[in-house]
Formats: sequence, structure tokens, C-alpha cells
Amino acid sequence: MKDFNYIQPDSLSQAGKYLSNRNNDAVILSGGTDLLSLIKENIYTNENVVNLKTIPNLNNIKYKKGEGLTIGALTKISDVAESKIIKEKFTVLAEAAKEIASLQLRNMGTVGGNICQRPRCWYYREDFDCIKKGGGECFAYQGENKYHCIIGGGPCYIVHPSDLAVALTALDAKVKLFFDDSSRIIPIHEFFILPEDDYLFENILRDGEIVTEIIIPDLPDGAKSSYIKIKERETWDFAVVSAAAVISKKGSNIKSGKIAYGGVAPIPWTEEIINKSLKNLNADKNEIEKISKIILADAEPLEKNKYKVILAKNLVKRILTNLVLDA
Amino acid sequence: MSRKIIKSKYDLYEEKIETIAEVPSEKEKPLAPNSKLKYVGKDVNRYDGYDKVSGSAIYTIDKVLPNMVFARVMVSPHPHAKIKSIDVSKALKLKGVLHIITNENTSEIPWYYNTSKLFDKHLRYQGDEVACVAAETEKIAEEALSLIKVEYEIMPHVVTAESAMKENAPKIHNNGNFGRPSEYTRGNFDEGIKQADVTIEDTFTTQVEVHNPTEVHCSVVNWDGGKLTVWDSTQSIFSVRDNVAQSLGLNASDVRVVKKYMGGGFGSKLEAGKYTVMAALLAKKIGRPVKAAMNRREMNLSVGNRPDSNQTITIGTKKDGTFTAMSHIAYGVMGAYPSGSSSYWPLRSIYKCPNIKIDNKSIYINAGRARPFRAPGHVQGTFALESIIDDLALKLGMDPIELRLKNYTEVDQDGDVPYTSKLLKEAYEKGAEEIGWKNRNKIPGSQTGEIKTGIGMASQIWWGGGAPPSYATLKLNSDGSAKIFSGTQDIGTGTYTFMQQIAADVLEIPIDKVNVDLGDTGTMPYSGGSGGSMTAPSVSPAVYDAAIQMKQKLISNAAAILEVDESNLIYSSGNISSKNDSSKSIEIKDVVGKIHERVLVTTGARNENPNGYAINSFGAQFAKVEVDTMTGIVRVKKIVAAHDIGRVLNRKTLENQFYGGVIMGLGYALMENRVIDDYTGKVLTTNLHDYKMPTMQDMPDIKVIIVSEEDNLISPTGVKGIGEPAMIPTPGAIANAVFNAIGVRIKSLPITPDKILEALNSKS
Ligand SMILES: Cc1cc2nc3c(=O)[nH]c(=O)nc-3n(C[C@H](O)[C@H](O)[C@H](O)COP(=O)(O)OP(=O)(O)OC[C@H]3O[C@@H](n4cnc5c(N)ncnc54)[C@H](O)[C@@H]3O)c2cc1C
Ligand code: SF4
Repeated sequence: MKDFNYIQPDSLSQAGKYLSNRNNDAVILSGGTDLLSLIKENIYTNENVVNLKTIPNLNNIKYKKGEGLTIGALTKISDVAESKIIKEKFTVLAEAAKEIASLQLRNMGTVGGNICQRPRCWYYREDFDCIKKGGGECFAYQGENKYHCIIGGGPCYIVHPSDLAVALTALDAKVKLFFDDSSRIIPIHEFFILPEDDYLFENILRDGEIVTEIIIPDLPDGAKSSYIKIKERETWDFAVVSAAAVISKKGSNIKSGKIAYGGVAPIPWTEEIINKSLKNLNADKNEIEKISKIILADAEPLEKNKYKVILAKNLVKRILTNLVLDA
Repeated sequence: MSRKIIKSKYDLYEEKIETIAEVPSEKEKPLAPNSKLKYVGKDVNRYDGYDKVSGSAIYTIDKVLPNMVFARVMVSPHPHAKIKSIDVSKALKLKGVLHIITNENTSEIPWYYNTSKLFDKHLRYQGDEVACVAAETEKIAEEALSLIKVEYEIMPHVVTAESAMKENAPKIHNNGNFGRPSEYTRGNFDEGIKQADVTIEDTFTTQVEVHNPTEVHCSVVNWDGGKLTVWDSTQSIFSVRDNVAQSLGLNASDVRVVKKYMGGGFGSKLEAGKYTVMAALLAKKIGRPVKAAMNRREMNLSVGNRPDSNQTITIGTKKDGTFTAMSHIAYGVMGAYPSGSSSYWPLRSIYKCPNIKIDNKSIYINAGRARPFRAPGHVQGTFALESIIDDLALKLGMDPIELRLKNYTEVDQDGDVPYTSKLLKEAYEKGAEEIGWKNRNKIPGSQTGEIKTGIGMASQIWWGGGAPPSYATLKLNSDGSAKIFSGTQDIGTGTYTFMQQIAADVLEIPIDKVNVDLGDTGTMPYSGGSGGSMTAPSVSPAVYDAAIQMKQKLISNAAAILEVDESNLIYSSGNISSKNDSSKSIEIKDVVGKIHERVLVTTGARNENPNGYAINSFGAQFAKVEVDTMTGIVRVKKIVAAHDIGRVLNRKTLENQFYGGVIMGLGYALMENRVIDDYTGKVLTTNLHDYKMPTMQDMPDIKVIIVSEEDNLISPTGVKGIGEPAMIPTPGAIANAVFNAIGVRIKSLPITPDKILEALNSKS
């Protein structure tokens, strides 16, 4: 681990100024639950660490009917899991938050940090000079790839580790970013990028750009949503595969719906063809079965993760059944 | 009390361990049954509970000495390499670095049974030691490691048994990649197979499991002239003393090893670490105390593991289920240095079978060396054996328990002698009743619905009867308090507490009057290492003997003080009084107060084991699981552990051992797995996220049923050990329950969702 200076800005603009200066070789710290392990493992060796927790007003959850929900980037994951409005109205997000890591980590980890966390690929975390770290090969591609992606991979085959990101994708969230002293808002599906576009990073953040807020459009009354996550032990584990679904119904038909999967791709994955086929669907057992059969049709699993295709199909079947039939 | 010297014999695997020991010459009257005792067998709180919970307990890792410095070990980043050169000059210049030792400035100290050295130029696994730095702080020592320049000659590696067994495989040792084989025959296997009506054969595999105790391996060392004191996180203070003395060329009496509290070992802390000897060398050079501690990464690379296994089992039976022949052909990886990986023992010993063939190979690979791990060989062997026996029962159309009972033996199959006690039948009965055995799926996998439940069981055999030599010294003070000293150690299992209980019951004094000091080779009488489920059965009779002698000594002293004939005195509740003259009575503390030295001392010894008997513990565990066929997730709902373990010393610590054993068995069955990248030979699971261990939320409901009372053929306390039996049958029971739920046999551990999904998918 390399020593670093600890910078504690009082305001967003101070932080923005500091971070946007490349000479500062600075990295953002929110809850630190991921960053500190990256530093300890010498994956990060920045000179300066900028703590965002000292900046006021970045940790609010606000809801306005018709407009939607905003969540400050510094909001603790546990606050998302316990928020009354999120539990009631944006259930998928509260359920995803509750599935993250352990209580201690949820109490420290923040929403912004969660969607910006680095991959868990064990080659990346161990002492391997792989493509993502600027090296020449992806060790997972022909190596131990049980936990790697089945779609969207190449030249790096990570899965995105964030549970919140999957729920936020199903909710069509937007991310507000701050750089130097100006901000921009972009849809979450543009925020995350595939390795074919940039294998060094998982999102479009410029060096020093700060996530300040998550914006979620309001859901129609009666919309229902849910998150299912499969992990190899009951708690303190990342998703092997997860599914998030948001459904609006009209009578017994689905009016519209969106499904996103975690653990299958380098970014939260969603398939337009599936979302389209949910539109005005008379959702009975057969139709659900049909949909679950066609999801991830383009998957190209690696040697040790073929099971993820079965798992993803089964999860979609279960989540739709739960939301539509068992309601 | 008279004593004799014997050659003590104890069986462990094929080893007949013989040691000279002093034992009581006559058989002692046994400790009263638990129903007549106030403390033994009851829910007594831990002696060290307050210290541990409040944080006042000082573990080795917490130990700080004045002027102490820190050592860190540099290890090989390569699975197989030779050191061409080492340059420590830059590291030595770092402020705060005090000394660095490498193969260049250290004498050749043999290691791993002479197959390597403390610092070997030939590095055989990622984690093999290259250098050791002492510095003012741990951080400086760590930084210094990154400044040492080593030039390696990289050699080809092998990290699986299959590739290491190939003829042209890179050789890890000059004489190849095969260790000492384990072969055994009883009767004639081929003849036995000819007599069989039905034969079954299958192959099962298990993974490498890493101990990962909470407290990392660590030592603090300090020289006082030519004498060395070592505070060590160890399961065996006397082994560490002998290993360290031998390595440094010292007399054993010049090395003192101390250990008070420990955060777990599970077999990985039975021998001295290289870091201990390195710390001693550095401390000698610098003239200051040195602490050497591993980090979690090193814990997952270098300090032992349970070897993997590939076991092919064949069983021939008559139509009625009577076994006519069994064979166990297996191999497993023992890592880069000599250890063992055999897994046949349950097959060889638990059922009646006249014809047995065994051939187990231990293979060297470029990975950390295996060490004993909670019931070495038995956990993996029991999983395979008990799996195939359930498959056989299905084939024969028999109830799995009925098949086991058909091949039940009342005599030890190896030595042809009876057991001192064997209550496995009773364990089957009680366990089956508690789990609701009759409700299991008669046809495995026959439930409809996405989530299927299943019930399965597995049996267990282990040794764990204990043996001499084991001694305990008891002191009684004039304030009525007592103190026990014994050179064993409490590794978290409750040794302190049962000693207190036994002494308090024998002397009939309140338990809080009894103190216990353990874990010091310099001041305490010998007792053995805490391994093999040997501690309680070995040392509890020694404590009992010391207390019985103390009682006798008190009576004799009271007779002199009261001027009453000994035969007229009765001992009751810490009082000694005359049978016929009630005015002649004295409290035991006053007896001690009236004698010149104001303290009475006795030393008790473990008795000799009975001749002509086999001593084994037995048990059966029953698992109820839920398998989600959509996700492949197995949820263990309940484990019933029904065991024959002799006398229960402490119900609370007993249950603790079972909780620990079952959860460890569950982790092994369902998730724990050391993964090595074949291409680079490097370990991928060096932290506690990637090396998945079960959490509190994975804990099933655990019900412990003890079917035994004291076994006084073994010793006056009648105890068998439980540390290992608690884990042995858990994975087998879970695997059988999974099979009962889904009707597909998963033959490889851990049973993870991918395996279940793929198995179900290829079936449908
Ligand atoms: C053992 C373990 C298990 C876990 N299990 C799960 C799990 O099951 N599901 C899951 O989703 N996560 C899991 N996590 C990840 C955990 O949720 C994240 O570590 C946490 O959410 C990160 O939040 P943080 O505030 O601590 O981020 P930090 O550690 O402070 O930062 C993480 C990264 O994001 C960057 N960053 C932080 N905040 C911002 C910001 N506002 N703008 C731009 N960049 C920023 C940092 O520079 C850093 O690179 C686990 C972590 C651990 C250690
Ligand atoms: S998947 Fe990505 S992070 Fe993992 S080894 Fe390949 S390139 Fe590196």
C-alpha cells in the first residue's frame, strides 16, 4: 500500500476544482469500502485521496409525485434499503440495496460508490497484469471464468458487480455528473460502457468527474417491481446472476415492462426485444415461459459459466411469475 | 498413589504411536455419573468467556513487548522458480529496517522432513519463503519487501494431480511427484467381487479446503541470554518447542513456548512455522523482541489445507446387502512438500467387510503444502463412501440405514478386537427419529414443484480416545482456592473449563474457586498437542487423578491435625470431619493453612489404555435440505448430530464444537474451494470473499443428541473426543440429502448452483 494525502473538501465546487486538475493524481473516496481495498492491494497508487463525505447535502432522498425520486450520491446503501418511499414505490431498488454485501458494508457504502465500484474479477483483484490493468491478456477468458460474463464480453470479460446498477437500469434512471464546476445528466444505460468501447473503465466518467445524484422517473400508480439475486451463500456475496423487473399492468395484461440482469455482462444488461415483447402482453404461464426461453439468445458463455444462461432464464421466469401471476 | 512406567500405544491411521509414559499403576474408581455431579456435564460457562467477550484476553497476535520490532516474510510470486540472485541493499537502506535474512546469510536449516530448507533457492510454490525483514514497524517491513530485488529463473509448474502424474510432468522433487503411497489389503478383493451379486463403482472428487482460522499464524519471540521464549498461536506448545530447538540447535529446555488464548487452528497450527524460526534468528541478531505475523493472503497460500481427492470406490454385495468386497483407489494433492492426502480410512474401518483393497497416492504439485485439517482424510472419505452406499441402497431397493445396519460390526475390522463401546445403532435410531427419516422421499427427486426437500444421512468413525502421557498439576491454597497447571492448551474448545469442572466436582468446592493455567512448556507438566480430538480424553483423567490424590492428601493431613484416624474421617463439601465426633471437623482451606508450606500440590497422570480393545467414537448426522431447482441453491434447514462420544463434560462447549463442526462441514459441502489458475499456477482465492466460507445466515438449525454416557473402559472420566467427529459426517449427509431431494447425484464437492443446474439440465 502506498501512502497518500487525505483531502477533505467542504464543497462540491472545491472538490470539483481539485479533482479536475490532472496533476493532482487524485481519486474519489466515498464510503471507502471498495477504494481502500484497491489501495491496499496496490491496484490504485494515487497520490491524493479526496473524501466526499465532508461535502454537505449529497445524501438526501427526495420524492415528488409525478416527477420522481432523486438520491444523493453519498446516500448510504442502508438508507436506500430502509427508505419508506423506496420500499413502497421503487421496491426493486430497496430489494437490490438489501441484497448488497453485509449490514456493515451497507452502512458505510454509498450509492455513488456502489455504481462506480471496480470489478471483482479475481484476476483483476490479484496480482495479474491483465488487460483491464493495462496488460496484454485476459486471464479469465480461458482460465477460471465461472463468475464471468456470458454476453457483451471482449476483450475483458468481467461482470458489473453493482446490484443497485441493475435495479437502476430497470427503473430507467439517470445519473447526474459534476466536473470542474459544471454538471451533466445522462441516462444510466449510457453511463455504463462495454469493454469493446473502453476496457480500462466500466463507465464514461472522465478522470475526476463526480457522480452527485441519481434521478429516477416516477412510476405509474400500481407499477410493481422486484429484484432477485442468486449468490452462493446467504449474505456477503456478489450476484452470480440477478434480475430486476419493473412492470405496469392493465387488468391482467402487462402494459409495459423492463427487465435488467446482473452478473451476465460487463454492464447491467437489458434486452430491447424482451422489453418490447412485454408490451401489452397477456401474461399467462405460457407467455412467461416463452419469454424466458428467448432471453439472452445471443449469449456466448465461456467454458465454465454455461450455467449462467440457464440461471438467467429461470430467474426471469420466476420474477415475472412473482410479479404478474402470483400477485 | 503408585505409578508405573509403560510403553503407551495409540492408533492413529496406520501409525502405532508408542511413547514412554508414567501412569497410575492401578485402575482408579471412575468419576461419578453426570447425574450425581454438580458441574460436570452441565451448561457451565467458559472459564475464559469474560476475558474473550470483554476484549481483555491477550491473544498472541495482540502481544506487545517493550522494544518489540516486526518481521514480514517475502514469498515467491511464482509457483515454481529458482532464485538466481537476491539484492537486499536497497531495502536495507530504508529507514527503520533493522535486518534482513535470506539463503545468503542464513545457515542451512532443514525443513519439511529434509526435502527443503528454511530458505531454499528452489521455490516450489507461490508462497515459498524468500526473505524475512525485521523493521521498527510492520509497515516499514512491508515496504522493505517491495525493495528487495530477486532474480528468478522461472520453471514450468504443475498445479493439478492429473498433470503432475503424467510421465513428462515437470518434477517438483528430484525423485518425482509421487509421495509415499498408502496401500492395504484385507482378504482377497477379487475373490470377494466374485462372490458378489451386485457391484457398484463410482468416482467422487473433493476440493482443496483452507483452514482460515480467525487468528492468523503468528509468533512473538524474545531472547534472554541463550534462552528463547516464544509466544505462539499454536495447537501444540511442546511440538513448537521441539521444532524450534532443533532448528536453532538449542536444547529443548532452553526454549519456552507460551500460548494462552487462541483464535482457532483446525490442524494448521500443530507444527512450528518458518516465520517463528526466522523471527528468532532476527531477534538474536538485533537483540530485540520480534513479532512475526502472517496476513490473510499468506494464510490462504502457505499454512496448510485439506488436500483434494479423486476417489474411485467399488463395493460388491450379496442381494441382501452383505458386503463381500470393497476397494478405494484414490489420489490427491499434498502440495509442494511431503504430507498425506489419503482418504480411505472410513472405508477400511466402519463397516464389516472381509475383502478390502486400498491404493491411495499422494501427489506433489506447485502449491502450498497440506497439513492436518479437522479429521484428515475422513471428511472427504466419508463423503465418497456414504454417497456410494446410498446409491447402492437404492440399487438394492433397501433403506439406506438398513443397508448400513446389515454391515454393522461389533469388532474392529483391523485388529479383530471389540470396541470399548459402540453406540452407532442408537445414534441411527435417535437421529432418524429426530429428523423424521420416514418422511424422506422414497423415490429420490420425486417431489413436484420448484423447491424440493430431501433428507439424507451419513455415519462417522474416528479415534479420539486419548492416551498417556498427559499430566496435570493441582495446587490447593490456604484461601480454599485451587489452581491447575497443565502443558496442554485451550484452542477455543473449552479445555480450561472442563478442568475447572472436574476439580470442583471431585473436591466438592465451588467452581469459581478453581483457576486454570495452560500453555507454557517452561513451567507446566507435559500434555499433548490439541489435535486428533485427543485433548479432553487425554488430560481430563489426569486432572481427575490429581484431584483424587489431593482429596487423599487432605484427608491424611486432616487426620494428623485433628488426631483422628484416617479411616474415621469423611470428606464432604470441602469439609473433613470425624464420623463419630462432630466437634472434630475442619474445612479444607484450614487444613492447608495449618501445614508448613500453606499449599498442597499433586500431579495427576492419564491412565494406560485398556489392552484388547479398540477405542473409537461413532456418530451419524442427518440433514434436511431444500434445493431450489430453478437456481441450484441448496439451503440446509436442519442437521441432527447423533453421536457416541462417551461422557459429556460440558454441554455448552460440547454444543459449540458441534455447531463449529457442522458449519465447517456445510462450508466444505457447499462453497469453500481453493481455486488455482492452471495457466499461471497462482491462487485466485486469497481473501475471504473469493474463498467463500459460510456466514451466520447459512447456519441451519442444529440439534445435538448424545447417545452415550461415560465409557469407563477407556478412563475414569470416560470421555471420547468430539472436535473432529462433529464435522466428519456433515458433508456426506448433506450430499445424500441433496440426492434425495433432486434425484441426481452430485459427485463432486462443493455442491454449488452451477453443478446442480447443469446436472438437472442434462437429466431433463
Ligand atoms: C466483501 C464485499 C462484498 C460486497 N458485496 C456487494 C454486493 O453484493 N453487491 C454490490 O452491489 N456491492 C457489493 N460490494 C461493494 C460495495 O457495495 C461497494 O464497495 C460500495 O457500494 C462502494 O461504495 P463506497 O461508498 O464505499 O465507495 P468507495 O469505496 O468510496 O468508492 C468506490 C469507487 O467508486 C469511486 N467513487 C466513489 N464515489 C464516487 C462518486 N460519487 N463519483 C465518482 N466516483 C466515485 C471511487 O473512486 C472508487 O473507485 C461488496 C463489497 C465488499 C467489500
Ligand atoms: S475479465 Fe477483465 S479484469 Fe478479468 S482478467 Fe480478463 S481483462 Fe482482467
